[in-house]
Amino acid sequence: MSATLADDELLITRVFDAPAAMLFALWSKPEHIKRWMGPLSFTCPVAEIDFRVGGVYRMMIKSPERGENWFGGVYREIVLNKRLVFTFAWDNDGPSAGVETIVTIVFEEIGGKTRQTFHQRPFLNVERRDAHVGGWTSIFDRLAHYAATITKEHSA
Amino acid sequence: MQTIDHLSATLSALADPTRRAILARLAKGEATVNEIAEPFDISLPAVSRHLKVLETAGLISRGREAQWRPCRLETQALRNVDDWLSRYRRFWMASFDRMDAYIDELKRKERRKSKEKRK
Repeated sequence: MSATLADDELLITRVFDAPAAMLFALWSKPEHIKRWMGPLSFTCPVAEIDFRVGGVYRMMIKSPERGENWFGGVYREIVLNKRLVFTFAWDNDGPSAGVETIVTIVFEEIGGKTRQTFHQRPFLNVERRDAHVGGWTSIFDRLAHYAATITKEHSA
Repeated sequence: MQTIDHLSATLSALADPTRRAILARLAKGEATVNEIAEPFDISLPAVSRHLKVLETAGLISRGREAQWRPCRLETQALRNVDDWLSRYRRFWMASFDRMDAYIDELKRKERRKSKEKRK
């Protein structure tokens, strides 16, 4: 039970067989984003992005069963080939609608491969946002804890 | 069916470390305000304020007996947070699978290009 209590954030670490520059391009160029964003049965016909700090992005994924799903946010930090921070929220009706989240992605290249550390958590109000200013270091320090939470498999 | 505002309220309530600690305490079983306050270096009124936030967010409920009003964990709100997070997890895991396949495709293209250059 106590493990569940800390679960309002997501950490997904994955190693890709590609240099960091390629991974960074996959996240920052619309022509690339459209090729992978969304689960297998989805396409991503819309990826409009203003790739600069403070710039807005809007994307849409769709599938025959689930229709159009719009989402978007604002880029908050961009460090070429290393780090990307942006807000993320779904437009659609549903339990996730309107709940803004913040995504932090760190790319580390090791011998031609890249470890992508993807972190997402709710981003609710000014107090919460300000608390984040000094908070990221400790979040990554607590990596082991979050790694444990993501290995917990949920029934679909 | 939980509404959007409920999920936000639950997430806001969870954002505070003291409130998380209170929930962790209640995960072990019911407790009174005094019992909950004991390990914390904060006043009873401050603990009561945290409890009020948790109660409003649907994370705890409180007994009706005026004297004790024991607090207990309500698991449904946490389950909703868990569901919400699971959907994101599935979304990204599936997207990263496609990313992997797309990287293979890009690398094959690059190899073809460099072969053509060598010719």
